Amino acid sequence: MSALLRAELLKLRTTRTFVTLVAAALVLSLLVVVLTTLLTDDLSEDDLRSLFTADFSSLFILLLGVMGMAGEWRHRTITSTVLAAPNRLALLATKTLSYAVAGAVLSLVVTVAIMAVGTLIQSAGGETTIGIADLADVLWRNLAVAALLGAFGVCIGGLVRNQVAAMIGLLVFAFALEPAIMGVAPDVGRFGPTSGAPNGVLAVESFGGEDFLAPGIALLVMAAWVGVAFAAAAALLQRRDLV
Amino acid sequence: MAVVEIKDLHKRFGSVNAVKGLSFEVEAGRVTGFLGPNGAGKSTTLRALLGLVRPSAGTATFGGRRYEELDRPSAHVGAVLEDAAFHPGRTARNHLRVLAATGEHPAGRVDEVLSIVGIADAADRRVKGYSMGMRQRLAIAAALLGDPQVLILDEPTNGLDPPGISWMRDLLRHQAASGRAVLVSSHLLAEVAQSVDDVVVISNGELRGRGTLDQVLGGDDGPATEVKVQDPERLASALEGRGHHVERTADGLLVLGATPEQVGGIAAEEQVVVLGLAPRARSLEAAFFALTGDGR
Repeated sequence: MSALLRAELLKLRTTRTFVTLVAAALVLSLLVVVLTTLLTDDLSEDDLRSLFTADFSSLFILLLGVMGMAGEWRHRTITSTVLAAPNRLALLATKTLSYAVAGAVLSLVVTVAIMAVGTLIQSAGGETTIGIADLADVLWRNLAVAALLGAFGVCIGGLVRNQVAAMIGLLVFAFALEPAIMGVAPDVGRFGPTSGAPNGVLAVESFGGEDFLAPGIALLVMAAWVGVAFAAAAALLQRRDLV
Repeated sequence: MAVVEIKDLHKRFGSVNAVKGLSFEVEAGRVTGFLGPNGAGKSTTLRALLGLVRPSAGTATFGGRRYEELDRPSAHVGAVLEDAAFHPGRTARNHLRVLAATGEHPAGRVDEVLSIVGIADAADRRVKGYSMGMRQRLAIAAALLGDPQVLILDEPTNGLDPPGISWMRDLLRHQAASGRAVLVSSHLLAEVAQSVDDVVVISNGELRGRGTLDQVLGGDDGPATEVKVQDPERLASALEGRGHHVERTADGLLVLGATPEQVGGIAAEEQVVVLGLAPRARSLEAAFFALTGDGR
């Protein structure tokens, strides 16, 4: 398992896609924080918490996860991967775990960077800052969401072999369908895998006046989504002939 | 000693019966050619052996164990499949590093296999810039990473230029000479005939012959005679009536299993005017086509 995990993490690091998306997540997140802190006066502690929560690492690791698994089909590397690691269940589990680890690391880098830059700008302007305890609270939530979304992305990539279809479908679901469900049926929407439950973990206060799930429950719901998607992807991978 | 055993292997894809009760063995220290026309079931058989497709019935094993039951399988079996594919954005070296990490092979082995296949100078280039021949060499490097005792190659000469094909033949011979079992598939007999010891011929998912190259394709059917006559149909009927197999060609008739003397004698009996008569040793290709029913 550890050899497989090392190999999957090496796979991640040895393509330009990963480096590009990590850089994009970092730059975009920093841009939002820099512009917001420079252009907005009187940011409250809650505003800062929300600002530091809104990093781009979760979205990017979700897409990376999809690309990491569906890309095996797109580039037809699934054959050599399964030849090297014929236990398909272990293979999927390791890939899922590796993207969870990558998501946590990516989120750690991005969140620490935006917290440092944001806090520096606020301090320099004599504006409100938030304490270490609050920063740490935001950090673990960001890490947990990124890790679970990275894992979820791998499972979706295992279910939908067409990489482009998987990515477009997931983006439409995350940015159109799930918010629409939240608007129409919030009791259902707050259990959503890409927006509803993650917002609960991140302790986003409300959406259109409707509260999200409590963080602990939301975390369990996200884990359940990963579990269900993993089980379905594993069943498909186990019985699929690689021709 | 058989290191690869295929026993009564069947594989059905929906309504298509791709492999029908195939059985054969591959010995250590020998190159076994796995021959058949396109669509004969060669790739399906090899993929069943490698655990990539699930047999509908029968077994395909290495020393009695299925591929997925082997401990560190890439240390036992190296495989080059027809559609050898790589992430285009990854360098050859990184591709091999990933496989070495997965198979728990020493990292130093990467440079060794890059040198063996002759692409060490291009190791840090992204694979998307590789020619077909370089990709094939990279696939072979990947197969050799674990220094396996069994090599399985599916149409390995596809995309190779003549020097590449020659290099491949030498590689196969060298691997067998060092005691490895080599199973190499091809639909082109000429490309493997010089490097194989044994052949397994299949067509339409069924075994058509197995043994040494000579035993299976080496003219056990006897001689063949080309004859040109004024009335080919009359002579053909007479020959077929005496149990000879006759093929109509553009120039006349090709009589399988008969000497020119026999054909001339029958022509004289039938009072058919002979315009030309010559022996023709059946080529390997002709024997192969006859065996596989590939009527080209």
